[in-house]
Amino acid sequence: MVSQIAQLIVSGVLAGGLYGIISVGLTLIFGVLNLVNFAHGEFLMISMYISFWMSEIFNLNPYMSLPIVVAAMFVFGIIIQSIFIRPVTEASHEVQIVITLGLSTIMQNSALMAFSGNLRVLRTPFSESMIEIAGIFINTQRLLTFTLAILATIILYLYLTKSYFGKAIRATAQDSRAAKLAGINVPFVYMITYGIGIALVGLAGASIIPLFPVYPTIGWHFANIAFVAVVLGGLGSIPGAMVGGIIIGLIESIAGFYFGSEFQQAAYFIVFIIILIIRPTGLFRK
Amino acid sequence: MIEVVNVTKRFGGLVAVNKMNIVVEKSEILGLIGPNGAGKTTLFNCIAGYFKVDDGLIKLDKKNITNLSSEEICKNGIARTFQAAKPFGDLTVRENIMVGAFNHTRKTKHAIEEAESCMEITGISHLANDTSKDLTLCDKKKMEICRALATKPKYILFDEVMAGLNPTEVQEIIILLRKLNSSGIGLVIIEHIMSAIMSISHRIIVMQDGALLAEGDPSYIASHPSVIEAYLGKGKEYA
Amino acid sequence: MKISSNNNNSLFKYNNILSHSNVFEFVFIIGLIALPMLISNSYYRDWFVMAFIMAGASCAWNIIGGYAGMLSIGHAAFFGIGAYTSTLLYVRVGISPWLGLIAGALLSTIAAIVIGRATLRLKGTFFVLVTIAFCEVLRFTAIGWRSLTFGSMGITLVFKKNFFNMMWQGKTAYVLLTFGYLVFVYVFNKIIEKKKFGYYLVAIREDQDAACACGIPAAKIKTIGLMISAFLTSIGGSIYAQYVMYIEPDVVFDIMISVQLILIGILGGKGKAFGPIMGAIIIIPLSSFLRGSLANLSGLHGFVYGVALVLVIIFIPEGVYGRLYRFFNKNKKNIKNHVEGVM
Repeated sequence: MVSQIAQLIVSGVLAGGLYGIISVGLTLIFGVLNLVNFAHGEFLMISMYISFWMSEIFNLNPYMSLPIVVAAMFVFGIIIQSIFIRPVTEASHEVQIVITLGLSTIMQNSALMAFSGNLRVLRTPFSESMIEIAGIFINTQRLLTFTLAILATIILYLYLTKSYFGKAIRATAQDSRAAKLAGINVPFVYMITYGIGIALVGLAGASIIPLFPVYPTIGWHFANIAFVAVVLGGLGSIPGAMVGGIIIGLIESIAGFYFGSEFQQAAYFIVFIIILIIRPTGLFRK
Repeated sequence: MIEVVNVTKRFGGLVAVNKMNIVVEKSEILGLIGPNGAGKTTLFNCIAGYFKVDDGLIKLDKKNITNLSSEEICKNGIARTFQAAKPFGDLTVRENIMVGAFNHTRKTKHAIEEAESCMEITGISHLANDTSKDLTLCDKKKMEICRALATKPKYILFDEVMAGLNPTEVQEIIILLRKLNSSGIGLVIIEHIMSAIMSISHRIIVMQDGALLAEGDPSYIASHPSVIEAYLGKGKEYA
Repeated sequence: MKISSNNNNSLFKYNNILSHSNVFEFVFIIGLIALPMLISNSYYRDWFVMAFIMAGASCAWNIIGGYAGMLSIGHAAFFGIGAYTSTLLYVRVGISPWLGLIAGALLSTIAAIVIGRATLRLKGTFFVLVTIAFCEVLRFTAIGWRSLTFGSMGITLVFKKNFFNMMWQGKTAYVLLTFGYLVFVYVFNKIIEKKKFGYYLVAIREDQDAACACGIPAAKIKTIGLMISAFLTSIGGSIYAQYVMYIEPDVVFDIMISVQLILIGILGGKGKAFGPIMGAIIIIPLSSFLRGSLANLSGLHGFVYGVALVLVIIFIPEGVYGRLYRFFNKNKKNIKNHVEGVM
């Protein structure tokens, strides 16, 4: 009985870590650039494809290619931001949002044209392996993903609080005009922050390719969860995003088991509505 | 009469307004001056409902209006203009004024009539069909004053309404303000242009570091030693 | 003070029902209903029906998206609520969709109140995020709550020709119904454009602080706007369900519906009542055409969509009709109202 619950909790938390890291990227971009990054899921999709093709073509184990993917996504994020987002930083929110929306559609369909809609599956030797701790079965892949996610979040958090540039990022998030006046190169901060957000998504993508198949619209599935997690956790709050992700993972896991998958979704809904009514700003503050 | 009683406003550790007590008499023109950072705009924003006060009371004709929202403050009869002119850009000038007029009417027809008469008073009728975001700064300010007038206020708070205008334009605004006042509207004016404020105000209040420094009619203030000291040189030019 | 009072002229010019733009709109709309009635090709009529539904729903979106400037990207939530409510009431309880659509609209309105209360005190981008999340959550719920909604399988309506069931043989009745819906929402927009409420919405969009300083209760007005928008969008969803006779969560709660509504509104011209109509007329046929002719390379049609979105928002932010409108009314400015404004 107890181990049943424990199993569910562990599974939920592990899944939640994945949602969390994606959400952290989203909330970071939102907190600093005040931008709803519609294309967030598409970056995930692209990083999964990169990882997949690296494995197919170069025979690189996804965990080996992970650093490459993360770096590549960082650069890619910066490029996209410079081309599409930076020119409209001063424009109204509508314009920015519509642009990321357009970007999302463009990216999805480019992938569709390039790779077709077929599911690509990557199997690694340890895709299925489990370990057992105290009677609880844990998928090693998921554990690894979770660990990476938590590590990345901690590193990010430390970076933001301790390093000079990290503080510049936080200052810009609080008040971009004041930051500008204090001598911070705000456009540069925006660019790098976006890159970091995308790099985090890249991390997620590279680590889940052994677990999920990739196809052009897979980004949406995760991005949608990320949107909800970000609202739950509190806009702009990094710990909040991670916690939000984990909560969703737990709801999926526990509600799914006890009440059937029907209520799993309804539970999701009810929790969301409750948060909206009671505490719309989410669990954590910026 | 607006009564500000012991109002205090803090931003974190900074006390922007410190136990201010002022009174604005019906139909008077009250000037509010003081060095930058003295808390003038903050005080304004407290009266206008833009900020919540941490302590103290604000009353309008004996009614407690402390911490009411800005829209409720307007409904109670206090209008305000902003330091940076804030037009409803995509609307024409007439439509901007109509928005103000809707404060006390529900029918579009009445709002149009009200807007027309306010524009006449303000002297901007020739701009009625112009898109407001394309106006010159002076015209935008006049429009904003006109819009405030259309809400049928008892008092209007002006936050540096003459900022950025050339001397001719300043004179135009002064004439306009006197005209508004002659119809019974009380004006509270924050301004840095000394000649303007001295010439137009019935009474002047000087703030420094969030508190009241001096209070009196223009000639008294101009020769007040602490005021001159606070401005350090500005006072000499205009006294 | 020398003033020539042009009150009568301004009033006339102001409420000019016969302005160039109004005439254009009227003629265009007549054409819109004439065409499908004259063409008997069922395929093309289908276009019109879908275009009318989407245009109507986009006009409903326009109330808060265009006039109030609140970019909701979750309007599919209301569309889906409408579709599911009327369908479920019909399929399970036998209630006529005519009543069902009201029920759906009321539910959508409640949803709007919840969203409004949660978001309106915060930054605009938060609103956008919440609308997306809300729609998503609804989609999940519709998939998961199988005992209520039949889940991913969706619901198929059985055809029983009957006015009360909102089902007819052939397309004519649907063309008229959806056209009626479109005209209703369009006229509604035209009316509130010139009323206090409409002006308040725009004032809030242009400058919320200044709006509050003019006595506008911003949060309340925005919520009411959202409620009306939700109500009207929901009706579109109900009609859609009755026409297509099949609904599933991944279609009616799909973000792509929300995106289509926005694209139609933005391309056509948000903030103008006629804008979405223009947008729908351009996009629906274009979309069908692209899907048809570029079927070989799947994804090309979506790609073009995305590019179009980006280009339009950058180069014609006011939309095609926004541009046209300026062109029509260019000469109205400054004609008779140059007055000696001497004080």
